[in-house]
Amino acid sequence: MNLDHFGMDTITLAGPLEAKLRAVREAGFTQIMLSAQDIVGHPGGEAAAIAAVHQSGLRVTGFQVLRDFEGLDGHLHAYKVDVAKAMLEMCRALRSRILLVCSSASAHATGDYARLVKDLQKLAMLAVPLDIRIAYEALSWGRHVNEYTQAWEIVQAADRENLGLALDSFHILANRTPLETVAEIEPRKIFIVQLSDFLWQEVRSAEDRIETARHSRVFPGEGVHSENVIELVRELDEMGYRGDYSFEVFNDDYRQLPLPLVAQRARQSVKWITGRVARRSLPARRQA
Amino acid sequence: MTIREPNPEPNNPLGIDGIEFIEYATSQPQALGSVLQSMGFVPVARHRSREVMLYRQGSMNLIVNADPQALPRTSAPTETPELKAIGLRVRDAAFAWRRSQDLGAWEMPTRASAMELNIPGIHGVGDSLIYFVDRYKDFSIYDVDFMPLPGAEAKPPAVAGLHYFGVVQTILNDRTRDWVEFYGQLFGFAVLPEGKFFGILPKGTLLESPCHKFYLQLTEPPPGSDDIVWEEGLFRIGLGAPDVRAAVRILKERGVVFIDNGAVQPSEKGALTQPYLGGVTFELVHSHLKP
Repeated sequence: MNLDHFGMDTITLAGPLEAKLRAVREAGFTQIMLSAQDIVGHPGGEAAAIAAVHQSGLRVTGFQVLRDFEGLDGHLHAYKVDVAKAMLEMCRALRSRILLVCSSASAHATGDYARLVKDLQKLAMLAVPLDIRIAYEALSWGRHVNEYTQAWEIVQAADRENLGLALDSFHILANRTPLETVAEIEPRKIFIVQLSDFLWQEVRSAEDRIETARHSRVFPGEGVHSENVIELVRELDEMGYRGDYSFEVFNDDYRQLPLPLVAQRARQSVKWITGRVARRSLPARRQA
Repeated sequence: MTIREPNPEPNNPLGIDGIEFIEYATSQPQALGSVLQSMGFVPVARHRSREVMLYRQGSMNLIVNADPQALPRTSAPTETPELKAIGLRVRDAAFAWRRSQDLGAWEMPTRASAMELNIPGIHGVGDSLIYFVDRYKDFSIYDVDFMPLPGAEAKPPAVAGLHYFGVVQTILNDRTRDWVEFYGQLFGFAVLPEGKFFGILPKGTLLESPCHKFYLQLTEPPPGSDDIVWEEGLFRIGLGAPDVRAAVRILKERGVVFIDNGAVQPSEKGALTQPYLGGVTFELVHSHLKP
């Protein structure tokens, strides 16, 4: 595990897209997670944003985020399919292999598993011709799916090659989902792992979780659950996950600090994680 | 009215019944036309309003599209002809189109293309399209959009019994399962057991159509081909022949050149033509199919 396995996320940084790309690259990262807002909100338009990403030389870890897709009926479903198609096309233009999809928080969505499975199968099918993989993530305030164990059940039932999981340490820790069951997931079906910590011991209500998730996350090593983050990464590493780790750090403070400073904190976090994971896993390797 | 089968086969949800047409796009339609004629295809009709020609031999319809706005959402035709569409015969085109979209196929925008008739279609691999045609028994889609060429035989016989056997599709590394699911879920194609191959180019994964009338071959880049530009797309058509050696002999007389070196040479199992016009090849395959 080294720096190349880690990436930053544009949502952590303030400023224009080009400045974010530069800061991330200059900090030594080779990949970046992009949001649709980076692209459509670019003053030069979509094409200019896409060109800037390509010129940066950074690999695109993934593209986010399709929300509230599954479990809708009639016109709501049709509307979301249109949104999904537009997201997939942007994802493709950015040469991102992964579209991040969050479990639905919509009050209009059904919790019927068969229906959720069917909708995700459809989304996966839409992604096939574009060579995109759908990473399904359990939001901790998802209406029906709010733990990775549920998301994994749905992904298994859907049984599509290009449908897998996004694991986000925040949502797992916020909901106190046990980490032991991570080992039951097929490593190849984990498409991306998002890492962050937060500053409070507990986030009891859904409102608390939303508020914390959107404003007060920190890099691993900076919060109070960082040992759990290490435990998660170590588990993933030992079970054979070799995909990307992306820092999904929404933080209002970081969005008003100089970009190089925030990127350095991310670098520091990589060092902290790799140091700790490597130390503990050495004896295991010797046995093997 | 066509009499439709009341109970579709469970493995053939769209009632697929073979290939109705294959479409190439090119900015050099005459050059491709002469290659096609050497392969036994005969120009039989011209589109009423666009630069589109219909070629035929035996059971095969082949469209050459040189219209600059040839296919929706796709690039203008290039000099090197590209395989751009497969027209599938289905029981009910509107049903096939709806069902495919329900399962996650991309609807093809209303086309300003070869057919004035509204032929529903979806996006396939690369920038190719898949059309659904249900009028092929007592009424032909070409009757509306095409004008017969004066003096041309409407239904020229096939050279050496040639018929559509399959289409080769190039795909990127590790994409076989994605495309197997695409064709399996949308149309009911099934993977042939490993080791079951036709022709002389045994590689990739073979899918059999649910009507058992044609095949798709998925081909990932060969190992060690990192420096080859390999894109996803429809790559080549395979033509079935009851007697490949006889077909090769007749086609050679018509000027077709077959690759004949150590690894690839004509045999009773199959043959491969040289590339024409910068990349068009035809594969002959010994065929058990009844056209």
